[in-house]
Amino acid sequence: MSLRWRAIWVIATVMLFGYYAVANFASEETRIASPLVPDNALRLGLDLRGGIHWVIGVKLGATEDHELSFLKGLLEDSLERDGVVVGSVDVADHQLRVETFTDEARKAVRAWFGDTEQLAEVGNDPEMLIFELSDLRREQVREQGMSQVLEVLRRRIGDPMKGIPDSVVTRQGDDRVLVQIPGGAVDRARAREMLRVTGFLEFKIVQDVAQTEELLRAKYPDGELPANTTVAFERDRETDRVLTAYLVGKEADLTGDYLTDARPGFDNQQRPQVDFTFNPAGGELFQALTEASIGKQLAIILDDRVYSAPTIQSRIATRGTITGRFTVAEVSDLSVVLRAGSLSVPVVIEEERTVGPALGADSIRRGVLAMAVGLALIVAFTALYYRLSGLYASVALAGNLLLLIGVMSMFEATLTLPGLAGIVLTVGMAVDANVIIFERIREELRGHKTPRAAISTGFNKAFWTIMDANITTLGTAIVLYNYGTGPIKGFAVTLSIGVVTSVFAALIITRLMFAFFPGDRHVESLSI
Amino acid sequence: MPFELVPPGTHIDFIGKRRITAAASIVVLLAGIVAVPINGVKLGIDFQGGTEMQVLFEDQVEADEGAIRRVIGACGIQDFSVVRYGEATGREFLIRFPAGADANTGGDACPLTPEQVEALERAKLAGGGEGDEGEKGETIDKLAYALINEIGPLSGGEPERVEFVGPRVGSELRADGLKSLLVACILILIYIAFRFTARFAPGAIIALIHDIGITAGIFVIFGLEFDLRVLAALLAILGYSLNDTIIIYDRIRENMELRTKFDLVDVLNQSVNQTLARTVLTSGTTMVAVLALWILGGEVIRPFAIAMAIGIVVGTYSSVFIASPTLLFLERRFGGNAAPAAAGAAAPDAGYAVRHDAPPPQRGARPSNSKRKKKRR
Repeated sequence: MSLRWRAIWVIATVMLFGYYAVANFASEETRIASPLVPDNALRLGLDLRGGIHWVIGVKLGATEDHELSFLKGLLEDSLERDGVVVGSVDVADHQLRVETFTDEARKAVRAWFGDTEQLAEVGNDPEMLIFELSDLRREQVREQGMSQVLEVLRRRIGDPMKGIPDSVVTRQGDDRVLVQIPGGAVDRARAREMLRVTGFLEFKIVQDVAQTEELLRAKYPDGELPANTTVAFERDRETDRVLTAYLVGKEADLTGDYLTDARPGFDNQQRPQVDFTFNPAGGELFQALTEASIGKQLAIILDDRVYSAPTIQSRIATRGTITGRFTVAEVSDLSVVLRAGSLSVPVVIEEERTVGPALGADSIRRGVLAMAVGLALIVAFTALYYRLSGLYASVALAGNLLLLIGVMSMFEATLTLPGLAGIVLTVGMAVDANVIIFERIREELRGHKTPRAAISTGFNKAFWTIMDANITTLGTAIVLYNYGTGPIKGFAVTLSIGVVTSVFAALIITRLMFAFFPGDRHVESLSI
Repeated sequence: MPFELVPPGTHIDFIGKRRITAAASIVVLLAGIVAVPINGVKLGIDFQGGTEMQVLFEDQVEADEGAIRRVIGACGIQDFSVVRYGEATGREFLIRFPAGADANTGGDACPLTPEQVEALERAKLAGGGEGDEGEKGETIDKLAYALINEIGPLSGGEPERVEFVGPRVGSELRADGLKSLLVACILILIYIAFRFTARFAPGAIIALIHDIGITAGIFVIFGLEFDLRVLAALLAILGYSLNDTIIIYDRIRENMELRTKFDLVDVLNQSVNQTLARTVLTSGTTMVAVLALWILGGEVIRPFAIAMAIGIVVGTYSSVFIASPTLLFLERRFGGNAAPAAAGAAAPDAGYAVRHDAPPPQRGARPSNSKRKKKRR
């Protein structure tokens, strides 16, 4: 390749990535609006822009127990129907234990579970039959639990319209969810409230209604509520103000456990409604409940908070609808509430890395300052020590930074605080390659080679040393990337990209400058 | 004349000091090992599980560690520590406690308003009753409320930084961290095996173990904490510290190829001296960047910078004072005389070919393989 073409190729590459790097300074509106400015830009990690980073652990064991309890109910019904006598039936430690006294009973229980194909028998205590979910079924149940949690978290937090802007909800592994909420959007306590996917859903017949608790109590002598009743409130979701106070029974008339599905739908006039389904057992209970309470309101209560209290218009068995003057959004909210309460999946925070926006901005300032000072010192040193060649090295270093940031912007990589440290480290390590080359050239010059020959030998002999140095660093950076979590991954990213761009800068950009001057010229001495 | 850090013709007898330097390294390594049972290996919350809260009070607030300690203690936290960040009159504090230190239900003395208690209750996560594998959520908010009530408003209304690692994640990170160090070491060993001959590889490996051992040892001796940032630095050192060794070893090989008869001590000394400028300069420039991070980069990144700085110094030292003497030691012990075993293995021009372990074509002086394995006393 001729020198000219090589120069064009190198300059074009640096300019392309430099363009991406510089475009980071344009505002987001400009980037989107202008066809000339690339849309891609660096993303700032939560440790720099501020925000909450949560790894949520989903307790899927509870989902298994839930499923076993459900099967237990079916088993008991079936055994009772067939007149089979067994002892205790318990769910504990993700196992269903049935105490049996006779061979017939054992046979009947085994036969029943054999039909369902959902359980596997473990242990062989003669008095106690122990079952676990079959591997296939357990996998299904756990997956369902995960989708449930993800569904709710995505709706509450990750939804682009209704959630928290720019937040991310992603699944991590078998039983974890990564939740990232950018800073300033919500405070920590509020965000934590949104994690409560473990809602306890109850259905209760409304016995009385008033606007406030006081007004409700005023209807009864001495403000004493009737026996076995309590007050449940419907609150404004924004302000938490009490909208309505309902007098309901202390005990739930029906719990969410029997609910198998709830989804938004439309009636035949295209008005939004919620369609829900009970399992057969729940259907029987619900039928009895609705039959006795036509015309009354049914409070839908999640975690002691009334979300809706539709009036029962007819007897409902397994399938029903909730209609009203709902908006589509309200209907979808109510469906989430129903679903969230129908399959309770407990969650805990397993890891948190939260940074306030002020500290994030401070970190950026400090990181950029450290980079600027490091860069200035290194440039000053190389220029003094290696003179013209040192200037070449400094130009290459600048090119290196443009390439590094440009590549990261093009791929929309996330820049974290350790990532920023990785860039500073790259600045320090990138010059190493130039030092190795320049020292070799000096040595060759001392051995009375011509400048041209010295440059050529210097670059050739330093090549493998530079490759060695960078290959090992790249290797460890890749290991770190595979292992790393959160912000530390950002260090691995900048370090690995930095290694590649450093090699490019030292071996190609610097060499190109030497090719221009002295190039083929016959010079007496080299400024190095 | 160009400015020279190391003037040509410099001849410092590095190898002659090998007994002193080897002893010094062994002393530091042993001190590190001895310090393990005495000081204990301090693990940060990343590897142990726990909570770290950085709080900054607003300008007019008078805050000191004692007052904060009283509040945290009143809220039923065990084994916590409070340290002031930055200057002695600063309003920034770091509160930490190990995982489970908030399990105690005590803390009725926690200064909270009824509304706050209710808000905490509302946002409480149902743990699922499978042990305290994670935070149920309220401790951090509870402490923030209590600090605001008792001492004064927090800048921004919330803690500046919260890091919580549950015991399960902590032990996973610990296991994965060790694994990543191991994998990185194996990768580098494989690279060394390809890159060096059997003659040079042991020295590189010993230098590598030396660097990681001493850096980690210094952390233990000074009671510094290992966390993810330090692990990242250790991995970076692992990749970086080989550089200087490679520079010197390549030169040794080159010098061996240049002549037929030589004294190994002279060759080693000469090689180290010839490459001294670049050994110092490459480490120096990297050190400048790391020091900039250390001094200017802020508290969060400082542990990384400290580990990096130690690693760079140790790595440079080891390539001069450990890697080269090891070569001498092994040659004298196992290598027969210091015949230029590699001579003629490659054409002079291909001096940087990757492998040099082809058998020498004619040097009869070189002992046979079976003889080489025998220890010479």
